[in-house]
Amino acid sequence: MGIVIAVISGKGGVGKTTATANIGLGIALNQKKCVVVDFDIGQRNLDMILGLENRVVYDLVQVMDGEASIKQAIIKSKVSDNLHFLAASQTKDKSVLSSEKVKALVEGLQEEYEYVILDSPAGIESGFEHTIEFADTAIVVVNPEVSSIRDADRAIGILDAKSQKVKDGEEVRKFLIVNRISAEMVQKGEMLNSEDILDILNIKLLGKVPEDKGVIDASNQGKPIILDKKSMAGEAYARIAGRICGQDIAIKDIEHPHTGVFKKLTGMFK
Amino acid sequence: MKNRQYSVKIFETTIEEDEKFKAFFDTNYILFKEHLILINGDMSSDIEAYLKEKKFKYLHNAILPEGRSRHTPARKSIKKNVTGYEYTSLQDEVNALEVENGVNEQIAQAEIQKLKSAMKTLSNKMENNLTVLDSIIRSGRELKIEGDLLLLNRVNSGAMIHTTGNLIITQVVEGALRCDGNFMMITVSPKANIIFNGVIVDNDLLENKLNRIELKEREIFITPVIKKEINWA
Repeated sequence: MGIVIAVISGKGGVGKTTATANIGLGIALNQKKCVVVDFDIGQRNLDMILGLENRVVYDLVQVMDGEASIKQAIIKSKVSDNLHFLAASQTKDKSVLSSEKVKALVEGLQEEYEYVILDSPAGIESGFEHTIEFADTAIVVVNPEVSSIRDADRAIGILDAKSQKVKDGEEVRKFLIVNRISAEMVQKGEMLNSEDILDILNIKLLGKVPEDKGVIDASNQGKPIILDKKSMAGEAYARIAGRICGQDIAIKDIEHPHTGVFKKLTGMFK
Repeated sequence: MKNRQYSVKIFETTIEEDEKFKAFFDTNYILFKEHLILINGDMSSDIEAYLKEKKFKYLHNAILPEGRSRHTPARKSIKKNVTGYEYTSLQDEVNALEVENGVNEQIAQAEIQKLKSAMKTLSNKMENNLTVLDSIIRSGRELKIEGDLLLLNRVNSGAMIHTTGNLIITQVVEGALRCDGNFMMITVSPKANIIFNGVIVDNDLLENKLNRIELKEREIFITPVIKKEINWA
């Protein structure tokens, strides 16, 4: 049985879909079978970021309604054979989802794949609730700003109340990714420190991703940033994917990156 | 025919000096405002005006049935005196009145004791009604607690807690609190919104780490428990 991971954030635009694409590809590059599922019914996005835009034939809703099998609807990534993708429906509304259908789909995918990653829609409505309902693990993506943190806090609260695992008396594991950190702004005290965010949300840290202009270009081109070996954000996602695959990788302190040799040298001449 | 039957507390007294009487009722106003006051013997117009002004319900020289706790010997003798005019001497009357006043005082004391014990049972109830929580109160959660709350975790921005009783929170509060109890022990961030017994507590007053906020006789006292700076000198 594979692990079901829901990627949530509460607030929109913090980089959930980007994180999902990169983590999925990262896991696949670690030679694990992984499927990413776009649960944002009505607003399909993940296909573009993965570079699989015009290859969608059958979508998630058609699979759940029995119009297509999982095998027919799955799209294989061009980059890695281990990464598969299931697209969200463009034409239908999220009201078509129901607990039984979602459960059947998730269980079907769990049998085939080691990692099932569900990209949750923004907000905390029914689409979000269905995404988290059958997840074992949640990855919470936040930006270092108060509104993102409050929405994430609310989303975690709902996760703790509505998840099937919690109803069964178990706990949903929750991990935090702090996305778009600007070291410069943190050092000036203009941006929230990730320690403060962890204090507020009280969940485990999975990784810190720096602000990187390359992310937008990578998304536009449909080549996730993890493929760019020179990119800071790409490296960060590679470390996160490694941690998910069970490797012991230390958290890199990207908030204070200049405490190396160069800084010490400049310090000597002050 | 519509009937209602109920018990009323009666305070029976005899007036010796108008000023003493007034002083006694001024100090014990709260205790006797719900009582029916029975005045035996003479009553001046001054006292009548005073009782009307204070809105006491009173009867003058009325004959009431014997109640469950209304059979002290002194009282009986007084009653006899009032109704039957059987005084043998003035000295007897004075003695009887003294006894009567003593009894009144006893009644007042008993009443105070009763109130005290009622308050004690109330506070015991509050202690039994303590809720202890160890979960983080996340944004969007609204907790309504009947009684006291001890929270061993933080209250995040966007969350709300309302208690009818006392409140102790051991970690930082960033959300909203409504406490209607007698005291709070909290550490707040500048973002928090604290309303204590209907009064907004200014966050600037709570800049120290842990604060004790108490309600004492309609006044709110804020005492920092751990001071920000410790002067070791």
